[in-house]
Amino acid sequence: MAVSVKPDPQTEEFPTPYLGRSVRIVGPVANIEPKNLPHPMNQRGALGKALFNWMHSTISPDPLARVAFERHAADKANVIRTVLMRAPRGKPAEERVKVDDPAVMTKHLKRVAKHLGADVIRIAASHPSFMYGSNPNDGLTTMGGDRPAGTPEELVRRFPYVIVATKAWDYDLIKAHRHHIGDAAYDFTLERSNLLHSALAGYIQELGYSTLRGAMNPQAAALAAGVGELGRNGMIISEKFGPRIHLTDVVMTDLPLVPDKPVDLGVEDFCKICRKCAITCPTNSITFEGKQIYNGVEKYKIKWETCYRLRPFTVQYWGQCLTCVTVCPYTKPNTWWRDLAIGTLRHTPIPLRPLVVRGLKALDDKFWGTIPNKRVRWLDYDTGIKPGEKACTVAGCTAQHGESHAQPAADSQVGYYFPLKENTNRFVKRG
Amino acid sequence: MADADPYWDFYVNHAPSNPDNQINNAIRAWNEGSVFPVKKDVHSPDVMSRHVKELVRFFGGDAAAIARLPEGHEYPFAIVCAQRSDYDTRTALGHGGQAAVQQALFVTFNLAATIREMGYRATAKLQDNADRVAAAVGLPPLKPFTHVELVHTDLPLAADAEVAV
Repeated sequence: MAVSVKPDPQTEEFPTPYLGRSVRIVGPVANIEPKNLPHPMNQRGALGKALFNWMHSTISPDPLARVAFERHAADKANVIRTVLMRAPRGKPAEERVKVDDPAVMTKHLKRVAKHLGADVIRIAASHPSFMYGSNPNDGLTTMGGDRPAGTPEELVRRFPYVIVATKAWDYDLIKAHRHHIGDAAYDFTLERSNLLHSALAGYIQELGYSTLRGAMNPQAAALAAGVGELGRNGMIISEKFGPRIHLTDVVMTDLPLVPDKPVDLGVEDFCKICRKCAITCPTNSITFEGKQIYNGVEKYKIKWETCYRLRPFTVQYWGQCLTCVTVCPYTKPNTWWRDLAIGTLRHTPIPLRPLVVRGLKALDDKFWGTIPNKRVRWLDYDTGIKPGEKACTVAGCTAQHGESHAQPAADSQVGYYFPLKENTNRFVKRG
Repeated sequence: MADADPYWDFYVNHAPSNPDNQINNAIRAWNEGSVFPVKKDVHSPDVMSRHVKELVRFFGGDAAAIARLPEGHEYPFAIVCAQRSDYDTRTALGHGGQAAVQQALFVTFNLAATIREMGYRATAKLQDNADRVAAAVGLPPLKPFTHVELVHTDLPLAADAEVAV
C-alpha cells in the first residue's frame, strides 16, 4: 500500500528518487545506522556468542580462505583488504583539472574504470536517503572512518555524485557455491572491486576533486545508477552478470558528472513467478510472498538474521552460501543467448511478460536444473568429494597423503555441497 | 580513441602530485605477513607449479613462469608474473600508465600470501632482477608492453628454466 511522502523543504530540494520498478520509496526513509547492520552488530556481540566467536576467533582450515577474508585469517597482514583499509587516503591535488562538459568527463571516467578492470561502471545522483546515518567506522568497511561532519543533506550537497563500479565473479567457480571454491570467487572479486574503487578515488583526487567512501548504502546507489534491479533474493541483479556482482563501498564525489538512470531488465516480472531462490535457500530466509514495506521502501525483504546465523556451523566447509546467487536464472555466462533472453523480456510489453517468464524459467529448469549441483574441480579442490570425506583426485599427484586420504576418487559429475537440511536430499545425493 | 578523450593523456602520464593517491605505493610498502606454522601437502612439484600458474591467472595475471635460482640464493625459486600493459610502465607514471603495475601487485601480494599460508616462505619484495629473470626464463613478451613482478619462494616447484641472475 503506497504512502505518500510528506512534502517538506528537503524533499523539494531532494525529490523522492526513482529506483526502477523493483523498489519503490513510498514513505519517509530513516537513514540506516551502521551499528544496526549485520557485521557491526556481530562485532559487538549482539548476535550471540556463536556468531561473535565465528567472527573473532575462527581461523579457516583453507589457506586461500585465510588470505581472502581477514576475519578468518591467521595473520591479517596476509590479507590485501587490510592494506587497502590502512593505506593513507591521499588528498585532492591543489589545482583542479577543468571540466567544461560533465558528459565528456563521465565518458572519460567510465573508460578509466574499464581500463582499471571494472566490469560494471555507472553513475547516480546522490540522495540523502541513500546515506548511512553516521560514520560506519567498524573496521570492516574498506574506506569508512573518514566521513566529515555534516547531515546527510549537507554531505549530498558536497558530494552530489556517486560512482558504482564492480567486478563480476567467475561464472564457472561460482557454480561451486557452499564450498571453498565459490568462496574464492566471491572474496577475491570483492578485493579486486575494493582495489578498483581505491584506484578510482585516488585518480579523482589527482584530478583535484574530493571523494568520500563508506558513507552510503551501495544497493540504493546501484539501483539509482541503473546497475540492475533488486531481486527476490535481496541481491542487485545486473544486466550482464545477474546477481554475481559484489557491491562494495561506492565513491561519492564532487567531480562534475552526468548520472545514469535506473534500468528495467524484467527482474520485477521474473521474481514474481520464479521463486527458485526461495525454494532452495537452505535457511528459508527468502520470502515466497510479495513485497513488504520496510523503512518507507517497498521491496522483497530477506530475513538476514537467519541467513547470517548459519555461518558458525559451516566454517569448516565454506564461508559464503551463495545458493540464491547460483540458482538465479539471471546467473549465466555473459553470452549472446543470455542477451537475447533478457532483450526479449525487456522488449515485451509488461502485461505479456509473465508468459515470457514462464517460458524462460522452463528452459532454465531444463538445461541448468531446478537445483544446480554440478561438480567443479579447481586447483586441488573437488566438489565431487563428499563433505567430511577426504580423497585426492589431483592428476599427477605422487604424494603419500596418509590413510585419511585413501578414499577412492569420485568419478561422477555430481557436486556435493555441505548438507544443511539433513532431512532432505536437496543438497547431498545419498545412496 | 585517446585523441577524442581530452583527459586520457593526464590519466596515462600525469605522475601523482600526492603519492598516497596511488594505491600501488601502499601495497609495495606493506610489511608482509607471517608463514603459517603447518605445511600443506604438496602433491608433487609438477602439480604445484601447475596450480601456482593457475592461481596467477585467477588473481588476474596474464602469464607466469617459474625460474630456479642459483645455489646459495636465499630462495630456490622465483615465480615470474607477467602483466600485459597498454603503456610502458617505466615512463607512463599516471594512474593509467601504472594500471598494469597495480594489477600485478594484486597478483603477487595474494600469491605470496597464499604460499605463506600454505606454510612456505614467499616474498613479493625482491624485484631488482625482475626483467632479467623474465627474459632468462624465456617468458615471451606481451604486446604492446609487459610489466613483470616476482614472487620468491621455497615452495617445492618444477622450474621452467634455471637462471643465472
